[in-house]
Amino acid sequence: MDKLHISLAAEPVFHIGPVAITNAMVLGIFGIAVMLAILFYAASALRKGKYNRFLGLLQWTFEGFLGQAEDIIGDKKTARRIFPLAITMFFTVLITYWVAALPGVGVITWNGVPLFRGLPADLNFTFALAIITVVASQIYAIQKHGFFGNIGRYVKNPFKDPIGAFEGILEFIGEFSRLIALSFRLFGNAFAGEVLLMVILLLTSYAAVVALPLVMIFEIFIGFIQAYVFFVLTLIFTSLALQTHGHDDHSPSLDHSPADAPKKTSAAES
Amino acid sequence: MNYYTQLTVLASTPNPSSEGDILSALGIDWTLLAIQLVAFLVLVWVLGKFVYPVFLRIIDERQDKIEASVKAAEAAEQKAESAQDEVAKLLKEARKEAREIVTTAKDEATAMISASDEKAKARAEKIVVDAHDQLEKDIVAARKALHNDTIELVALATEKVVGSLSGSKLDKQVIETAVKETK
Repeated sequence: MDKLHISLAAEPVFHIGPVAITNAMVLGIFGIAVMLAILFYAASALRKGKYNRFLGLLQWTFEGFLGQAEDIIGDKKTARRIFPLAITMFFTVLITYWVAALPGVGVITWNGVPLFRGLPADLNFTFALAIITVVASQIYAIQKHGFFGNIGRYVKNPFKDPIGAFEGILEFIGEFSRLIALSFRLFGNAFAGEVLLMVILLLTSYAAVVALPLVMIFEIFIGFIQAYVFFVLTLIFTSLALQTHGHDDHSPSLDHSPADAPKKTSAAES
Repeated sequence: MNYYTQLTVLASTPNPSSEGDILSALGIDWTLLAIQLVAFLVLVWVLGKFVYPVFLRIIDERQDKIEASVKAAEAAEQKAESAQDEVAKLLKEARKEAREIVTTAKDEATAMISASDEKAKARAEKIVVDAHDQLEKDIVAARKALHNDTIELVALATEKVVGSLSGSKLDKQVIETAVKETK
């Protein structure tokens, strides 16, 4: 390998009919297969009443995340409804990110195109996840506030409640910024991680034997952080969408409310 | 080692013939995006149907178990507390009873002692009274005997003095009269 091949987009490796199968999808399918194997093994073993350290670890993770979801959402029932989506996002991002740190990713080529690429390093995937998160939070918000009630979160009468109306506009823009922030954060981290691995490989030459594992460990750590961030943000966006803005009267009193929701959102996104 | 010079970024340049927007430059392909979106939703559904319920059930079961054992521990504590109270109550009662028994025994003993004292006193008094009676009886008997002896002595003495002046019958009469007078 004498050239550093960097492509912002995932590249098609082969085609099935009109659909191009990209290198990110190839590794993604592998990662998801690994994840499914692990989770189905765990589920069947737990159903049989087996127990070992690995199952304990999985169960502990699951329980911890469920507790966190319940804490963030506040309502146990709603938390359990949104939880499968959030935890699947966590596991998927985690595993697909981790398999992208495996040796061979980015350097094995097929017809001049790298055969493997991390799934989170494909904007299609991260964008799909972000769309699902935002749409899911909208669905939950509509279920809670009703269709017009949900629209009422964004559109308010500017004569009656000028600050509220402005807040509504910010809220509406916020939904799109969430979409962009969620997808680009994950994509950026994963893409940068892969580029970093390749650059380190080229820069260190044979010393890569020592240098690469360190960067791989770092990537594994970043993978966990990103998966966790995605999980938490999904829950936070849902919980924000479920919040009732009961105080429509934003008149003279300078209470915390107008700045509250956007501040929370931006804090969560930073 | 001329890698640095060969670092080429093959950013997929936007295809001028297509939309040419920034999204396609970033690699957004709506078909692929839709496929991945649907695939992910299917993944969520499959895991939510077959895997997560097992985990959730185990967590719930454990939670129930923990709650049950907490409740059991609380109940046991309460039981222990009530048992302690019961023991304390029993001890109190037992002490009270013991005290009562001791008091009663003391009272009875005192009563018995005083009763036997009285009895002894009465008996002693009776003995004294009896002794007095006997003494008096003895005195009377002694007096009578003395009386008879005296009469006989006087009779004898008179007989000796007077001699056989008169009959014994007269003698006796005279003596008795004399004795009476002497009395």
